[in-house]
Amino acid sequence: MSLLFKGREAQTSSLHKSWIMGCYFFVLTVFRQGVNSLGEMWRTPMASLMTILVLGLSLTLPATLYIVVKNVQQVSSGFSDAAEISLFVKDSMTEQQTQTLVKRLALYPEVEGVKLISKSKALEEFKRVSGFGQALDYLEENPLPNVVLVTPTSRYRKPQAAQQLLDKLEDEREVEFGKLDIEWLERLNALLSLLKESVVTIALLLLSAVILIIGNTIRLSIMDKKEEIQVLKLVGATNTFIHTPFIWTGVWYGIVGGLVAFMSVAMMLWWLESAVSMVAGVYQSSFVLQGLNGNELLTLLLLAVMLGFGGSFLSVHRYIKDIEPDKV
Amino acid sequence: MIKFDQVSKTYPGGHRALEKVSFELGNGELAFLTGHSGAGKSTLLKLISVMERPSAGRVFINGVDLNGVSNRQIPFVRRDIGIIFQNHRLLERYNVFDNVALPLVIEGMHHKHIAKRVHAALDKVGLLDKVRCQPSTLSGGEQQRVGIARAIVNSPPLLLADEPTGNLDPELSMEILRLFEDFNRHGTAVLIATHDLGLIARMKYRSLTLNHGRLSQDPLMEGQL
Repeated sequence: MSLLFKGREAQTSSLHKSWIMGCYFFVLTVFRQGVNSLGEMWRTPMASLMTILVLGLSLTLPATLYIVVKNVQQVSSGFSDAAEISLFVKDSMTEQQTQTLVKRLALYPEVEGVKLISKSKALEEFKRVSGFGQALDYLEENPLPNVVLVTPTSRYRKPQAAQQLLDKLEDEREVEFGKLDIEWLERLNALLSLLKESVVTIALLLLSAVILIIGNTIRLSIMDKKEEIQVLKLVGATNTFIHTPFIWTGVWYGIVGGLVAFMSVAMMLWWLESAVSMVAGVYQSSFVLQGLNGNELLTLLLLAVMLGFGGSFLSVHRYIKDIEPDKV
Repeated sequence: MIKFDQVSKTYPGGHRALEKVSFELGNGELAFLTGHSGAGKSTLLKLISVMERPSAGRVFINGVDLNGVSNRQIPFVRRDIGIIFQNHRLLERYNVFDNVALPLVIEGMHHKHIAKRVHAALDKVGLLDKVRCQPSTLSGGEQQRVGIARAIVNSPPLLLADEPTGNLDPELSMEILRLFEDFNRHGTAVLIATHDLGLIARMKYRSLTLNHGRLSQDPLMEGQL
């Protein structure tokens, strides 16, 4: 593309005859510059290593918090039927009346399931689990009431709705009182959402730090190559041509930093695994620590690449335009 | 080829580098640009390569008004001009081949064609055997010739040289000037800024003399006035 000499076109860029070939060569050049900038990072490993490690660690923290939230959610999802209502039946009620109550409750539209725990069954279980065993045989009569366990439908499991249902159920004349053990679940949910919020906040802070770190690294690299940029401008390089290698460097930093973050998360999980399974064992639960799956790894890398691109893009557009050949 | 029409350049801060300079350099002409230090030689060359814009007046290359060239188009103007510097400005990170290939890489030329042209350019300046050397291992004269090879590798119609012989002894200077004469014989217009008056005296070419920003001797222009 000759601006001043129309006849020169054919001489220097006879290859760019068509628009499509022009695009092809542009993409080829950009790709070649990408490989070159990776090679350059490889040739100066120490300088790149520091930046990559800082990036890796900055990305590790949000990733770790994300995993914490994910695992806590996994634990708490096991408690979805915690919104169970226990109705204690009045002692004066006969077996017949209790059965009728169960049948009536089952017809409630808000109720998904009803289960009767008779006083004798409850005593048996209590004997077995509590360890008082034979001591309970000395009791003259069974002190336990009949209990009806009511599982609300999913719509009525939310704390407030469950509370309303409880009030309604307590109005049944056979019922002494009802109990809804939901407060702790509310607290857990509140804590969980607090945790999620703080993860988002911390992630935002650290991700902006990543952009600044990459931006600054690229800025130093631009200053370091000031003379080279001047010469490039003098021999007729377009801004795109000069910018591309720096943008690529940012992108490579992002990719490698993302991989470092993934590896450190994996190592941390491996380290914690035995401790977690010990705790889970104490609670007689089969809890397995969840790591990052393939999709999440991809998301992490994509995010890192975008941050790398963003940081270098900012630097390149801020600093390269100031480097002009005449200001030596 | 180059036409200056009442061109003035005042730098921020009030320094007047050029005042109402008018001249014309024909197609395929070789001319010297002389004058004392600070007379405006570098400024004049910067105006041609659009490193600076004139404060007043117009600069034409091949009939195209450079005032009408946008900042985005500047790279394409520079691709038509080969520029040679006193301190040759080679990139130390790359070897001789990559340095000379730079203008072609920028144009997105295929690497097979690049190799052919780089070898041709290095052959012209007599450095074909140094193609894989690092610039720092070459002598001053050799580095200058690599710089010249880089300027001519894409056969620009116009060559600008800013003190190309400034750091060289007379013998080497003469060698470099013979190179320029050779390019000129092949139809390239050449403008050489120098304060080496002895050199100019030995060669019968037109010379433009700047004195405190004014063009003081241009026989052709005087003839017209």
